[in-house]
Amino acid sequence: MINKGRNPASLTILLTAGFLFFSVNSFAAGGKASPPPVEQIPRHENTNVILISLQCLRPDHLGVYGYKRDTSPNIDKLAKSSVLFENAISQANLTPIAQMSVFTSQYPRINGMVSFEVAKETVTARTLPQVLKYYGYTTAATVSSPEFFMRFDNGSGEVINPGDVFSRSFDYFGRTARGPEGASLRTAPVDAFNWIKNNSDKKFFLWIASGLLHMPYSASVPPPYNTKYDDPGYRPFWQQFSGAPETADSAPSYDTFSRVFHDDYYQDFKPVYRLNKADRQFVTDRYDAGVFYTDLFIGNLMKLLDSLKLTEKTLIVLQSMHGDDLGENGLYFHYDVTDTVIKNALFFRFPHGENGGKRIKQQITGLDVMPTVLDYLQIPPPNEAQGNSVIPLIKGKKGATGTPLVFIDRLPWWEYTLSRWYLDMQSANGRDFTALEKLKLTEYRQTLKENFTELGYPPGDIAVRTDDWKLIIRKNPQLLNKVSWWGFITGTPQSTSEFELYDLKNDPIERFNVADKHPEIVNRLKKPLLEWDASMERAKVQPAPLDRRMIIPYP
Amino acid sequence: MAHNDDQKDALQAEMNRREFIRRTAVGTGAFALAMALPGLMAGSALAAKSDLSKLREKYKDYNVILVSFDALQAAHVGSLGYSRNVTPTIDAMAKEGFSFSNAISTASWTVPASMTWFTGVYPSEHRLTNKFSVFNPPNNVLSNLKKLSPELVTLAEVLKENGYATGGFTGNAGVSGMFGYDQGFDTYFYEKGKFGSMGVSIPKALEWLKGNNGKKFFMFLHGYDCHGQGVPEGGFDYRFVDKGYDKKFTGSKEEQEALREEGLEKGAASLRDEDVKFWRAIYDEKIQRTDALFKKFLLEYEKMGLMDKTIFVLTSDHGTEFHEHKRFDHGFSLYNELIHVPLVIKLPKIKAGKVIKDQISSLDVMPTILDLLDVKMPDSAKNQLRGKSLAPAFKGKIVSKDVYSETDYRQFTYKRSVITRDGWKFIYTLEDKSRELFNLKKDPKELTNLLDKEPKIAYELEQKLFSHFKSIGHDLNAKQWITGLNPVYDSQAKGAQKK
Repeated sequence: MINKGRNPASLTILLTAGFLFFSVNSFAAGGKASPPPVEQIPRHENTNVILISLQCLRPDHLGVYGYKRDTSPNIDKLAKSSVLFENAISQANLTPIAQMSVFTSQYPRINGMVSFEVAKETVTARTLPQVLKYYGYTTAATVSSPEFFMRFDNGSGEVINPGDVFSRSFDYFGRTARGPEGASLRTAPVDAFNWIKNNSDKKFFLWIASGLLHMPYSASVPPPYNTKYDDPGYRPFWQQFSGAPETADSAPSYDTFSRVFHDDYYQDFKPVYRLNKADRQFVTDRYDAGVFYTDLFIGNLMKLLDSLKLTEKTLIVLQSMHGDDLGENGLYFHYDVTDTVIKNALFFRFPHGENGGKRIKQQITGLDVMPTVLDYLQIPPPNEAQGNSVIPLIKGKKGATGTPLVFIDRLPWWEYTLSRWYLDMQSANGRDFTALEKLKLTEYRQTLKENFTELGYPPGDIAVRTDDWKLIIRKNPQLLNKVSWWGFITGTPQSTSEFELYDLKNDPIERFNVADKHPEIVNRLKKPLLEWDASMERAKVQPAPLDRRMIIPYP
Repeated sequence: MAHNDDQKDALQAEMNRREFIRRTAVGTGAFALAMALPGLMAGSALAAKSDLSKLREKYKDYNVILVSFDALQAAHVGSLGYSRNVTPTIDAMAKEGFSFSNAISTASWTVPASMTWFTGVYPSEHRLTNKFSVFNPPNNVLSNLKKLSPELVTLAEVLKENGYATGGFTGNAGVSGMFGYDQGFDTYFYEKGKFGSMGVSIPKALEWLKGNNGKKFFMFLHGYDCHGQGVPEGGFDYRFVDKGYDKKFTGSKEEQEALREEGLEKGAASLRDEDVKFWRAIYDEKIQRTDALFKKFLLEYEKMGLMDKTIFVLTSDHGTEFHEHKRFDHGFSLYNELIHVPLVIKLPKIKAGKVIKDQISSLDVMPTILDLLDVKMPDSAKNQLRGKSLAPAFKGKIVSKDVYSETDYRQFTYKRSVITRDGWKFIYTLEDKSRELFNLKKDPKELTNLLDKEPKIAYELEQKLFSHFKSIGHDLNAKQWITGLNPVYDSQAKGAQKK
């Protein structure tokens, strides 16, 4: 038929884009007869934007999302005048990958940010601050997640001058530094306060990225807040084992929890200790201490904005970059694409608290943040955006459905990282493995090296999430079994399935793979997931040459 | 090409003689034309212009002749301001009719651009975007309208359906019947393997008219006489070439081709200022001689007594580049020297002489013709046309619009452009995502890319451009734009290897 390409949906897109374009332009061409009335001034002329991005923040540990513990009075207060999303899903389980999707409104393979080590020449996609600069915004970032700034030369181990993929298009890119005696730089990015004070007269976009919640939990939370929720009689279980890290503040660390699999602590490839309720609670207590301290920071930020009369001139977006497993799946960190990892806190505080208190149940994604901010500012979204403005959803527009099918990439980053530098760094830092572990480690490292080529990653895992289900396809389960860290540390080969299906309504913690029980659901979800995957492969960015790559070690 | 001194002197003498003839001819040209074409010119300089407010709106059952002077750059047309008198016949028609001084083609080379007249849609939609729809030697598939876009109805088909005799008389190549340009034509003349001249297509057209027995008709008349691959009968007489030119070039199609390929390969063709001047002189000779061929056609046509029953549409599919952006020939860019074309519409028995400055598109040609003839698109294709009739402009209505152009020339590049009504032009190159922004009012030659100075305008135009293509069913982000080789010229196809 001749009406190809003239379906009502595409016409709507055209008309909407056309209208927006016209409304923006009509102001630019203004000043003919009479000045435009105040309400016609496009919002990008006089609205600031603050994007608060919190690493590892689980929504279910905030009061406003239903947490029982009073961890977040300030965030809860801010949320009251905001529009809150109950089902905001990340595009990936890893920080820089998920966040670049927020910044570009593109899936990882499309913007090129598919690992921690991509060269800045690879990731050239247009970012939110870049677009805002077109519209005269002063752009600044204050960042305490090293994923966004600390790049090391692969060979020499020296710090390369930032200027990496995230700092692009920021007029000011502030970062935290290590404290005395190598204290973690994952602190509250209080540098933001000074920047705001000094730039309150400007029209600005400020990105505040905090890595404070990242493991080791509570390591950079000062006393007395760090032990605020501790059971006073509790002694961390790992301190009884030789080779365990000696952290003065008892912060639960990666070194400890990389030995914990399904509640067992392993040494010499044997379970030597079974974690009990108190152990698990301690991890949560220290995580929550971080949430509380982060909340204090948000409270101070809001006080400052109020005192400078900026609150009502500013669109404030608060988001988690991703969550964390706190033992729910027998796992810690953000190793996989469980809901505890990929489900985010997200709310938009529009000036004057417009639509404040509204809660949106429909699924949306990190891809939607940039188009939403631009839509509010009356700036057309970039054509390459793969997300959508959620403002129609907020306004309850007919046909606004959110994203019924959310697609997620998982890269087997953990083992890849081990193969590349982590184990070397551990040795250099004098972290001891036992004699037996050291022996087998040589073999394991060889396996990793053989399976992770210089040019990057083995096939990743992909997932699709609906309100009710999540289907994960492991593209190469044999390889995952072979390289699995859990396989190594437990001394027991892992058995990964190609398909995993979880019933999110009845099993929100995703304990039971029900792929065999519901083949019809697997088939129904498989098709769009594989189609999406194929479309990503067709359009993916080719990486820049390896020799330009840099890596990020964990501080 | 080297000449010995004797040859040089002889050539110089010949050129001097031609120059003398040219000056004389130009001086008397207008007069001669006026005398020769009473129907077209008689007393027009004296007669009052028609009252356009009383202009009839429909010309039911009138004849239409659509003429394409292939590769005629708008800047070389006298009635559009060119200083040399090389288009007296076209200019005379412009004086009688309506001349659109800002007509923009949807593409910068023949295959995609010309099909827009016949289908009223963008090249992306009719899909004749390269010579081969599949280029995978030796299993190449030639692009063909019926195969690529079976749902499209052509102008010739619609008119034929409405009782018109339809005849196309062309120079082949880009408008070859092999591409499906013949769709809907009772007769479609093209000589395979040739970049044919109007010197050949005109006699064929006249012959057809003589056998038409008074039936209402639609004719497409075309030739490559202005085109780089066209060489005038009997060779050049170098009528406009400076006496002092050192004859580094002779104006041959082989030189033209070599310069084109050099420009593509190196980004610039190595030409001195005097060479550029030489090539423009060669071009002017071609144009003038094309115009003269068309004048002969009109003289014969006049004799048939059909002038008062015929609407003429004179235009070109694209321009050509003479080093304006360091390259040579056409197809590879979307700068105005390639997409700004002449468009003259002459209605019978009207002395309009009106220049319409509104920016319009070659998309509008088909709807205009149908509107004037009071012919409707068939129900099956009633939503096909992307353009609008320009007829309201005859009575002073504003028809100005934002116009979009595109080229996927030989898969060497993939470009899309938009020119806004208020003179901003944005060009996006898909394979490398490069962007260009020009303020045509201040920089009509498109020399200063304002991308960094006006990032907001560039950004918004980019979104406008992408929205436009999405709205016609072509999401430019939905595929990768990989450059390759899709030869257009036989010389290139011979050595073409799959890339």
